Amino acid sequence: MKTAGLTTVIVLLFALPLLVRQPYYIHTFIITLIYVILVSSLRLVALSGQVSVGHAAFMGIGAYFSAIISKEFGVTPWLTIPLGGLASMAVAVLVGFPFTRVRAIYFSMVSLFGGIMIVNLIRVAKRWTGAAGLAGIPPLTPIEIPGLVTITFLGQKVPHYYFTLLLTLVCLLCLHRLEHCRIGMTWKGVAQSHLVASSVGINEAGLRVLALAVGCFFAGIAGAWYAHYNLVVTPNTFGFLPSIFLVMYMLVGGRDRFAGPIVGTAILVMVPEFFRSLKEFAPLILGGIMVLVVFLMPRGIAGLFDQIGAHRGAPARKEAKNAA
Amino acid sequence: MLLETRGLTKHFGGLAAVTQLDMHVDQGEVVGLIGPNGAGKSTVFNLITGFIRPTAGTVLFDGEDITGRKPHAVAATGIGRTFQIASLFPDFTVLENVVASFYLFPRCGFWEALFNAPSYRRKEREIMRQAREVLQLVGLDEARDMPARNLPHGHQKVLNVARALAVKPRLLLLDEPVAGMTHDEIVFSLGVFEKVRAEGITILFVEHNLEFMSLCDRIIVLNFGQKIAEGTSDEVRRNEEVIQAYFGSEDAA
Repeated sequence: MKTAGLTTVIVLLFALPLLVRQPYYIHTFIITLIYVILVSSLRLVALSGQVSVGHAAFMGIGAYFSAIISKEFGVTPWLTIPLGGLASMAVAVLVGFPFTRVRAIYFSMVSLFGGIMIVNLIRVAKRWTGAAGLAGIPPLTPIEIPGLVTITFLGQKVPHYYFTLLLTLVCLLCLHRLEHCRIGMTWKGVAQSHLVASSVGINEAGLRVLALAVGCFFAGIAGAWYAHYNLVVTPNTFGFLPSIFLVMYMLVGGRDRFAGPIVGTAILVMVPEFFRSLKEFAPLILGGIMVLVVFLMPRGIAGLFDQIGAHRGAPARKEAKNAA
Repeated sequence: MLLETRGLTKHFGGLAAVTQLDMHVDQGEVVGLIGPNGAGKSTVFNLITGFIRPTAGTVLFDGEDITGRKPHAVAATGIGRTFQIASLFPDFTVLENVVASFYLFPRCGFWEALFNAPSYRRKEREIMRQAREVLQLVGLDEARDMPARNLPHGHQKVLNVARALAVKPRLLLLDEPVAGMTHDEIVFSLGVFEKVRAEGITILFVEHNLEFMSLCDRIIVLNFGQKIAEGTSDEVRRNEEVIQAYFGSEDAA
């Protein structure tokens, strides 16, 4: 049942460019997919009990790093995108050691200001980042399979869409695996009680740094991919408000469930994009959705099934399984 | 001596919680640490297991100085512990609580776990086997699929012991393991501790319950952070200073 549903969704996603022809909609899908990676990586960090309110800044590190390296040194983006992920991860490890000395809401506060600082540093480094924005980022270089096809990316939405979809699927696969192996279990344990965790030999601070590092690696990848798609990046994309939005997408979708960030992002990124004529009302609509979800579905949209199940008094077992 | 503290001292601001404590626990012993509320018993546990850094003094485990080590490093040397308030992973099932606690033996690497390598799958099977063994030892195997938070209070405390056993301890520190238990649960727990002891694990208790006193080979009495008496349960019970600490002196009464 679950596999069938999943297969249908993936097939539909691959068929999407055949059904929807308008480039603007394809663009919206690409952006949505990139944000699915981001919000899912944010949820991975949150598994260890820390909600980062500066996650967009790590997307920015990946974006700027990859953009600058490929632009200044003429390296192909196919190489600099993973480097962008690594750069974001390196910064996460560096700030992770001081950041993870505090927990819960205090971690959120520290990550908030950390995120703001990173964006300010990007603004200050004018020589490399162009302060207000960086233009002229090289697009993805064409892929040539001799005698068969040449895939070009510049100005081409559909190939971009397919490669973004592939990237998203690979990232989600990694994140899912991480959550469901012992590493994920240990993260969830650390989130439930850091005292108990350290009493059985778990280096809980180290594991929280690891969660932050892995989450930021994927955020960096997503950011770098975004840079070579959009070809222009501005610091505002990675600032305080976008970080808040990432948290909001996660909460609306439901943070208990792997599908939460996917559902939340799909709804909250696409709703405003498809109702462009109501652009002025977008914050109002988003705020409204947020309030509704918090009151009616405290476990998010993806958590709705659990909520219904709990009402019927049935699957306490299922609940436990999800927590695992 | 398996565990030894020398001049162990902890001041919280101006308050001396533990002062110049010299105590030891021998291999295979069951030792009780008792004292009135606020005597510093839990602080001693936290000092030994690295949850609090001592102001002065040293903690030796099997001759090795472990003073000031982080809690996870202390656990790795072979000291398991429970907490006073039943503390476990409430969202996990009983089995998952123990499985998650088998973190050190065997230790799984990041990449082998990510790629589900054969070595990792072997370790996972090994962990599952050991976890079931521990649950059978403490008599919770039947309840293994229950969410830990739904367990009765007494069973939660026993689950704590099961979790602590997952670090393969040579020394087990149990902080009020039967507090708030019914009589039947206490009798059941006594059986569990006898089994743990039979496995060759040394136990240091903090406890008020008198039935437990008789289980102990030796009892150390703390008052205001200082050792005021030490001996068998009968010796301690007759000790003037102990009676005074618990019931007050005649002048005060």
